[in-house]
Amino acid sequence: MKTKYLEKLRDQLQNFQASKADIDEILSDYGQLYDDALAKGKTDEEIYQLLGEPRQVAYELIDTIKIKQHKNKRNKIIALMPFISVIIFMILGFGWDLWHPGWMVFLLIPITAIIMTTDVKNAIIALSPFITTLTYLLLGFKYDLWHPGWLIFFFIPMISIILNTRLKDMFVALSPFVATIAFMILGTYYDLWNPGWLVFLLIPMIGILHTRKLWKMFVWELSFVAAIAFYLYMGYVQNNWATGGLGFILPVATSIIFGDMNFVWDMPKGPMRKKVYILLSSIALSIAVFVLLGVLAQGWAYAWQIFLIIPVASIILFDKFRVTAIMPFIAVVLFFSLGYFLHIFQWSWLAFLLIPMAAIIENA
Amino acid sequence: MNTQFKKGIVEMCIMSIIKQNDMYGYEVIEKLATDIDVNENTVYPILRRLTSQGLFDTYMEQTNIGAPRKYYKITSLGKEKLEEYEIEWKSFLKGVFKLLGGIADEN
Repeated sequence: MKTKYLEKLRDQLQNFQASKADIDEILSDYGQLYDDALAKGKTDEEIYQLLGEPRQVAYELIDTIKIKQHKNKRNKIIALMPFISVIIFMILGFGWDLWHPGWMVFLLIPITAIIMTTDVKNAIIALSPFITTLTYLLLGFKYDLWHPGWLIFFFIPMISIILNTRLKDMFVALSPFVATIAFMILGTYYDLWNPGWLVFLLIPMIGILHTRKLWKMFVWELSFVAAIAFYLYMGYVQNNWATGGLGFILPVATSIIFGDMNFVWDMPKGPMRKKVYILLSSIALSIAVFVLLGVLAQGWAYAWQIFLIIPVASIILFDKFRVTAIMPFIAVVLFFSLGYFLHIFQWSWLAFLLIPMAAIIENA
Repeated sequence: MNTQFKKGIVEMCIMSIIKQNDMYGYEVIEKLATDIDVNENTVYPILRRLTSQGLFDTYMEQTNIGAPRKYYKITSLGKEKLEEYEIEWKSFLKGVFKLLGGIADEN
């Protein structure tokens, strides 16, 4: 009961942002009062009445405690940032007619809040949507690289993976993203959609490196290399890609023989496995929809947006769900789709103001 | 009675009893509660405030039951303040009694 009372009091004092020294002193004093009251034969209920409800006590003590200076300063900066942003926005707008892209200064609001309230590692992860959004906009507006500039969004799950995953698993976890980026660049700039898709085979090939038995790993990798070589030979030399595809029976057969068809690397157990499956499915689904929209509707220009499902799925599955983290993607889709389909790019950029708005509402 | 007004009186009473003897927190609560109707949970915040204002000093003293206890001791600044409060209080009471029917004169 005493411990519970002191814990409640600690929580309340922390809510008032009391310094650690003050909290320790007050708790020590209340500990003594509690012990003295117990020694006088008081019951826990009587002592609770005597000492007072922790929230009320903390309120009574407020003028005797020192507020954490650094936290106070941080809060001031966070609270001032909307005003600073408006001033900068106005100066840029009236001074140099830079209303656009001057509005980007509003992104300073969530960025400052994240930097001021989070530790370095989490700040990097939390900032990644904003940095990538800014980079994406820069690539788009300045160099008209909307496509394949959107690939930059893959850096969000990639940063999270790099900071949270053991080195051993990192390459496997990163491989789907690296493969997709390579595939899109090969396709877009060199029109190598085929055989560019072969880069996706890097995913199982890297996964196989985890195989414990060396000879098994060697045979397995060799089956992939042989299949790829056969496919390329049949395609480029014989101009018969379809027959070349038959070569992939070899690695598939090897996988079946080794009994690891389902799990090409050490999959995590339990709910984590389910999450990995959902993420892998979202990657597969995105690729399928992208190719279908591209081939059937010639929609390459907008179909790329489907890939934004991957970082969104990654955030929802592996991080704490926060609207602030998802909002950059929603904003990008709104911005691009409204601009592309309705030809209102001059208005659709306003969608990006949803990002700081979401951050303010969520962090308030 | 107005809470702030009552707190002011309790504050003066606490200064007065600590002037007589150095005391630890629970002792102050007990002593006050025997003579006046006081909300005990306001006592510690008052002790802490008076200490932060330099009117009380604290020191630790070993006890038989365990951890050392914090004792409160009035400072010379505290004594000066208490004298001021007592003069103000007595003058105030005199006026009040006069208004209520000359009770102060009778005493």
